Amino acid sequence: MHTNEHTQKAETFIVPIGPQHPALREPGHFEFTIEGEIVTAASVRLGYAHRGIEKGTESRNWVQNLYMLERICGICSHIHATAYCLGVEQLAGVEAPPRAQAIREMVAELERTHSHLLWLGEAAHEAGFETLFMYAWRDRETVMDILEALTGNRVNYSANLLGGVKYDVTGEQASKIEQGLDYLEERTRHYLDVVTSDPVFIQRTRGIGVMTAVQADRLGVVGPTARASGVVRDVRVEAPYAAYTAFPITPVLAQAGDLEARFVVRLRELFESYGVIRRILANLPPGELVLKRMPRRIKAGEAISRVEAPRGELFYFIRSNGSDTPDRVKVRTPTLCNMASVLTLTVGRHLADVPMILVGIDPCFSCNDRGLVLKRGADHEHWTWDRLRQIGLDYYAGERGSGGVGGTSISPAPLPPCPPALLTGMHV
Amino acid sequence: MISDLTTLLFFPGGLSMLLAGMAFTWLDRKLLARLQNRLGPRWFQPLADMVKLLAKEEVVPAGVNRLLFVGLPVVALAGALTAVLYIPLWGLPPAASFPGDLVVTVYLLSLLTLCTGLAGANSGGRFSLLGATRTLTQLFAYEAPFLMALMGPALVAGSWQIALITAGINGRWLLFTQPIGFLVALIGLMGKLEMPPFDAPEAETEIVAGALTEYSGRGLALFYLGRSVEMVLGLTLVAAFYLGGLSNPVAFLLKTLGLLLFIAIVQSLMARLRIDQTVGLWWRYGALLVLLQWLVLWGGRWL
Amino acid sequence: MKIVTMLKDVVRSLVKRPFTRPYPREKQPAPERLRGKLHYNPEKCTGCCLCSMECPANALELITLDKKEKRFVMRYHLDRCTYCAQCVQNCRFGCLEMSPAEWELAAASKEPFTIYYGNEEDVATVLAKHTGTDAEPPG
Ligand code: SF4
Ligand code: SF4
Repeated sequence: MHTNEHTQKAETFIVPIGPQHPALREPGHFEFTIEGEIVTAASVRLGYAHRGIEKGTESRNWVQNLYMLERICGICSHIHATAYCLGVEQLAGVEAPPRAQAIREMVAELERTHSHLLWLGEAAHEAGFETLFMYAWRDRETVMDILEALTGNRVNYSANLLGGVKYDVTGEQASKIEQGLDYLEERTRHYLDVVTSDPVFIQRTRGIGVMTAVQADRLGVVGPTARASGVVRDVRVEAPYAAYTAFPITPVLAQAGDLEARFVVRLRELFESYGVIRRILANLPPGELVLKRMPRRIKAGEAISRVEAPRGELFYFIRSNGSDTPDRVKVRTPTLCNMASVLTLTVGRHLADVPMILVGIDPCFSCNDRGLVLKRGADHEHWTWDRLRQIGLDYYAGERGSGGVGGTSISPAPLPPCPPALLTGMHV
Repeated sequence: MISDLTTLLFFPGGLSMLLAGMAFTWLDRKLLARLQNRLGPRWFQPLADMVKLLAKEEVVPAGVNRLLFVGLPVVALAGALTAVLYIPLWGLPPAASFPGDLVVTVYLLSLLTLCTGLAGANSGGRFSLLGATRTLTQLFAYEAPFLMALMGPALVAGSWQIALITAGINGRWLLFTQPIGFLVALIGLMGKLEMPPFDAPEAETEIVAGALTEYSGRGLALFYLGRSVEMVLGLTLVAAFYLGGLSNPVAFLLKTLGLLLFIAIVQSLMARLRIDQTVGLWWRYGALLVLLQWLVLWGGRWL
Repeated sequence: MKIVTMLKDVVRSLVKRPFTRPYPREKQPAPERLRGKLHYNPEKCTGCCLCSMECPANALELITLDKKEKRFVMRYHLDRCTYCAQCVQNCRFGCLEMSPAEWELAAASKEPFTIYYGNEEDVATVLAKHTGTDAEPPG
């Protein structure tokens, strides 16, 4: 009996990573089956940081929700607020003044800078390169200070308002920001040099976790992870929002698709960010910061708002029933789209590469934990995956005629209205 | 009798060694921190860590061999402390000496690694098991080149006895005549101490704390102390062999600290190597280079 | 191909001061816009409650003693406040502002977190009403 158990164990040696593990800053659970040091199978379980935020939005008014949604992610807080504001403004049929839009974009790019530098440190730490970690985070303080001076907070900037922004950029601040950017630019160039020429570090990144463009497309990855595989997927370019039409960026691409490419893409993106921030500072449109009148009740309707978070496309679906609280807010964060690639890419690699590949997508767990509640009368049994799928198929077949599902288009076709009986909540 | 006891318990063995170990650990951490532009720990941090760990409950996981679990850290520390007797600490002649003690010392120093590996295998957790495998794999990678590198000076002095080797070196800085041996010895020492970039056996982002994952309290404290002592011993050995043999304690201490600075810089400059990369590095470059050095030495003697 | 790319940084750091800020021994001035503790000035308040209505954390309660006489007391829950400044934005009369200097707000007990702003006698009236009952109304 005992020996039997042992041989079975030897056959499938599973390394559990998480929900508490030093490699993960947030809870998630991975199981890697390994043979020797090589991973042969991988699985993931998310859902440890479920907070019920989406459901929570239904009991708060439009303004209060802004601040709650901003707290979905501690790293890319501003972009959540921006996505929400843009969606609500779209529903209300108003548009924030150009100056506000430009400031939104500027804060978003500053946030991207801080997020990418944070990621650089984090990734270096996973590779055991503590020195790069410490220096990257030291230099990240520069952009944190800029953000704090600009908005009054280091993390939840709360720069957005429905219909505008709270804070203006003064001339003195603009020159501070310029100075900070000069320093950051020099440092970023140095780090780009480090990650592409340090022989020991390259051993850990070059040719590891390779994802081809075809794979990237099929796995549906977004953001820098996709761009590192040569797939142009950037909402800022595909569907410019805020001020991205006036102050455009060029998407940064790499073809290699390995970990090194993900480093290069993220770091080169920083130069784009610095450039666009400089252009905004030089040509800030004059005018109001916030709309004179933003309605408290939002017209009934549905809106979709897509923005490019530091980790990739962030998607908001907002439905209003005309009252002062939203009827439904659905958030889809980029990590959820990228997670599947980790499972595919780790198989066949060394266990030591696993944390690197995981960190390569820049995962953020707390923002992708969802619960799905399906209610159909008093039916409380556990449903199997097949049955859930069947319900989905039936629903789409009924609502949209044949061919309602399975489209390959990535453009945001408006979602069919959810029947209240089917989807009562799928929340972050 | 009383002097023997002092030798064992206070100087150069025992207590003074533990303190020296902690001081070096602190210095290593502090240097690393400064190299990374951080503040680093205050001087009493390693001592505080030890006091805290010793005061804590030692949790013995279910299903392990209790005797081994508790005994291995003791053996590990004892091995390191025994080695103290044969090593010219602070540039003074070793407390004890016999022909061939170099080999014995090197194996005493390996006892710590061996115990760590066994402890990991014994504690049965998955991370411990993986860590143990990696620890032992790494042991086989650096051990031979390390020993060979220490034998370079032995060849020069024509003896396997540490006291005679250091006397035979007689103030010559072999660093300049045997640079490869020096580097291999120093980097081998880093592998032995599982310092970055050779910290794959305890890579926290993969396998938590490797072989010692299940250890807490006293056991962990003893392993840490063992490693600290070993750091002092290793540095002393390299300094004595390659940086001009015995000398007055102050000069010797400075040399040792110089070596410490060197390994701190190396630690700070590199990302962690994967275990297969570590093994490859040692066998492909380390061992071959030392062999080359030997050939040069022999050739030089016959010419 | 370089052997070590960060050597320059590392060696330079040896002679540089550590970047770590020795807080709390040395304090850095906070930026002007820092959103610290909220302050309320009852003088111009009209009792419109726009501030408390849209506070995401329900951290503000305006207690109206006498609307005609403009006797208002603001109960501010420091521990619930998320420091978003929405209330400051909402108040059209400039009664609210956030102090950039007061941001070290930790305390060992709960009492300092409930703050009453207003005229002294008004606050006394409110406090007198609440003695005996739970000082924390459902929020
Ligand atoms: S700062 Fe925000 S959370 Fe605090 S009281 Fe004002 S509105 Fe409420
Ligand atoms: S918004 Fe201003 S005026 Fe209105 S109740 Fe609040 S503090 Fe008073």
